[in-house]
Amino acid sequence: MSPLLLTVIQAVLVLGLAPLTVGLVRWFKARLQGRQGAVPWLPYVALATMLRREMVISESTSWVFRLVPFVVCATGVFLVLILPLVSTGSALSAYSHFMLVAGVLALGSVFLVLGGLDSASAFGGMGSSREMTIASLVEPAVFAVFAAFAVASGHATIDGMVQTGGAALLVTPALLFSLIALVLIALAENARYPVDNPATHLELTMVHEAMVLEYSGPYLAMVEYASALRLTVFLLLLANFTVPTSFLFHPSAWQTGATAAVLVGTFLKLLLGSFLLALLETSIVKMRFYRMQEYLSLAFVIALAGLLLTLFL
Amino acid sequence: MDPAFLSFAILASLAGTVFAALVALLGVRAHHFAHILLAFSGAVGAVASIAFVVQDFEVLEIASVRLFFGMTFALDVFSAIFFAIVGLVSCLCSVYAIAYVRQSHEGYHIASLNAATALFVLGMQGVLLSTNVLGFMAFWELMSITSFFLVMADRKPASIKAALFYFVMTHLGAAAILTGFFVLAQGTILADFRTLAFSAQVIPAPALALTFFLFLFGFGSKAGLVPFHAWLPEAHPQAPSHISALMSGVMLKVAVYGFLRMMLFLIPSLPATFGLVIIGLGLASAIFGALYAVIERDIKRVLAFSSIENIGIIFTMIGVGAYAFANRLPGLLVVALLAAVFHCVSHALFKSGLFLAAGAIVHATGTRSLERMGGLAKRMPLLSGAFLVLALSAAALPPFGPFYGEWMFLQSLVQSLAAPTDGAVTGVLVLVLFAVVLASALAIFAMVKLFGIATLGAPRSEAAEKAVEPPASMNAPILLLALLLAWMGVFAPALVSLVGGKDLVSAANRLPAIEIVGIRPDASLVVPAAVFLGLLACLGLVFLLRRLLSDAKRERSYHTWNCGQPIDASMEYTATAFSAPIRFFFRFLLRTKNTVVAIPVVATNPWICRRELFLNLRSVWMDYGYLPIARTCLRAASIVRRVQSGSVQLYVAFIFLALLVTLVIAL
Repeated sequence: MSPLLLTVIQAVLVLGLAPLTVGLVRWFKARLQGRQGAVPWLPYVALATMLRREMVISESTSWVFRLVPFVVCATGVFLVLILPLVSTGSALSAYSHFMLVAGVLALGSVFLVLGGLDSASAFGGMGSSREMTIASLVEPAVFAVFAAFAVASGHATIDGMVQTGGAALLVTPALLFSLIALVLIALAENARYPVDNPATHLELTMVHEAMVLEYSGPYLAMVEYASALRLTVFLLLLANFTVPTSFLFHPSAWQTGATAAVLVGTFLKLLLGSFLLALLETSIVKMRFYRMQEYLSLAFVIALAGLLLTLFL
Repeated sequence: MDPAFLSFAILASLAGTVFAALVALLGVRAHHFAHILLAFSGAVGAVASIAFVVQDFEVLEIASVRLFFGMTFALDVFSAIFFAIVGLVSCLCSVYAIAYVRQSHEGYHIASLNAATALFVLGMQGVLLSTNVLGFMAFWELMSITSFFLVMADRKPASIKAALFYFVMTHLGAAAILTGFFVLAQGTILADFRTLAFSAQVIPAPALALTFFLFLFGFGSKAGLVPFHAWLPEAHPQAPSHISALMSGVMLKVAVYGFLRMMLFLIPSLPATFGLVIIGLGLASAIFGALYAVIERDIKRVLAFSSIENIGIIFTMIGVGAYAFANRLPGLLVVALLAAVFHCVSHALFKSGLFLAAGAIVHATGTRSLERMGGLAKRMPLLSGAFLVLALSAAALPPFGPFYGEWMFLQSLVQSLAAPTDGAVTGVLVLVLFAVVLASALAIFAMVKLFGIATLGAPRSEAAEKAVEPPASMNAPILLLALLLAWMGVFAPALVSLVGGKDLVSAANRLPAIEIVGIRPDASLVVPAAVFLGLLACLGLVFLLRRLLSDAKRERSYHTWNCGQPIDASMEYTATAFSAPIRFFFRFLLRTKNTVVAIPVVATNPWICRRELFLNLRSVWMDYGYLPIARTCLRAASIVRRVQSGSVQLYVAFIFLALLVTLVIAL
């Protein structure tokens, strides 16, 4: 199996499944809260509708506003191409260096923030300010988690780090702390509970939705798709850090049975991930934004504990 | 290329700079010519020193002056890199200054401004070329004094105050450096650096420690290292923008060069504790600089604080190098020094670009306050495009050059964690890793605020609404710097190998027996050009898909949604509001003071009132450091002044006493 083909398979699978993940989370959440819920594939319909709609562009915006959806989407696609989501050892796996991943994630956040500021409304500015705060203060925790995995696995690329999943976790149990911290980071980076409420548009509590408030039509579709992509990437990454790599494609092993296992496995990872996320979101409340430093320092301390235990045990 | 030709080119560059200073004195009519001459000589110097770095010479001797007891001026790989920065940035700043100084409303005295600028550049070039103490200090003073005059070029009270503060700090620093040289060279001012390198290895430990702290204070105060930084955010913003660019972009680098050169002499005999001292001050600068850059609302002060942050990161790298060497991690020393030099180059490029852009924006909007800007991206698309690239570079985001410098450093830190060392070393490296990450994360915040509030949204003042693109001669240098940073992002490994870890250490050499162990920046695995192209390709893919999937033409323009209410620019988020979360989360460090004053509007009802919020962005260092010292000095002076009674008999008694004391000491 050539590494290039693996990259293509991964790209097609993840890019295709991203809206379904969001739909699944919403469906699970609705069921858990005793509501009927929309069908999980509704996001596909919504995206298709948005793509056909006319756009309303604010008069105060500039070229930056138009550049933002493209850059945000492109950073998502770039991450899908380099990270080990469905397959390890794919063509671009050497590029999944943690510095680059953290940098590209930050680049996407920065452009979303710029888009929010360009709309010249209080909503956009508020969302931008908050998103920028979260995105920058979560950074030390991100580095602590990746440093722990790097030390434990001896690899600087995430592609190498996922080797510590499954049974290897038992060898370095300290990585459990890093995993917990990674969950907290994922919640912050994806604007989920308890950091942000993805369901509201008009609360003063909102972060992500406030920034994209002024986008409409195809641009909104792109921004929403990008955040769906980010959520899918994080869910798969979290799953891959916990389960053995035999649930991933690999250039050397390629049989029909394994293929089926990987395909079913990927789907199960997404299903389980979205269920757990929905469960979390129905059982906890959103934190006040001005208590966010507690959450972020908690994430950092847990991640640091993971790193120090990995180093000194 | 022939070494003789190269050294001739460097000499020609120096001569051109001197000539530009002389021409500038002719007055306003010579303004164009002086700047073209300065730009040209800067370019010649930059090209010659780059040509020198590319080739494999050890040392390029420029001139040997017999007059002053045989001073030699020479370049090695290490100083050539800094010489290239000086040449390049001064060239671009001169091109920018042609239109900038002409159309400025500040009422500069053009002849003296231009002459001082040229002499300032000459001073920096001279410092880099000097290989002995006398030449180094002479040019250092030239650099300090001309920049003192440049800071108060607009002759406003605020500028004069800032300039005097700068003058005091820079001369305390110069005195410390000179004393350091004296201690190291055992009292002679004519020692050349080779002698210094030798004596650094033989002098006793207390003298070495004294030298180290003198150099740390001297070079640190010039570079803006916390806690000797307080002059920097006052002085840099007051200068004309092309001078701010030169001061922040290049002069700080000359200070770093001096410190780095001396450290290369000292490192072999320094104990690890001194490395920790540099790391401590460096991290304090990085974090405080970044925090103040986040909360500051004056466009040029944001940039000045961001310089403090970057200088802090560079000093941290140097400190980590010293600490690593003392703890037998020579590989980390090489990477740390390499990263420091790389970061110097990238900081010089983006910071001078940002200051030039800020100058153009200040000129267009007539204010330095971010709260009165906005909407410039629409009105100055070219400038704001370059500004965006520069700001993203300053935030060390991919795919631009500075990102790779940070990558190199952080990756080698993480790699050293995995290497078996003792617990204390690991602890220090972990601390450095997270402090640097936090500082650079705050730097991202500061740069996003700077770009976003200044250029995006609706204009917050009438002047900002009428802003237009600056003339091409001002835009071109900024665009060129932005392009250079993108280029650095593509060719980072080439640049790193040019700076070359081994070359750097062996050329500045004097470091005995350094072994370069496995840790090298992983240029072979990750190709920055591929990252750049990959991101571009993804962008193209997204663009293509959007074209295929939807009709691009259907859109209309309407005002921003505001819950059905009319909207105006006063509802926008301001720089103050944008940084509010960081101010809140870091209030234990910043100690900002909010005061709300409520003035009742209706006498009968106390609830209906006008509220005014005063936000005092205090500087902890001023409040708890500089001001108490100043007050103590003044109090001591007023006590001593009582001696000045005016009675002649008392003075005679003093003279007699002094004579007596002298005799007692002498005999």
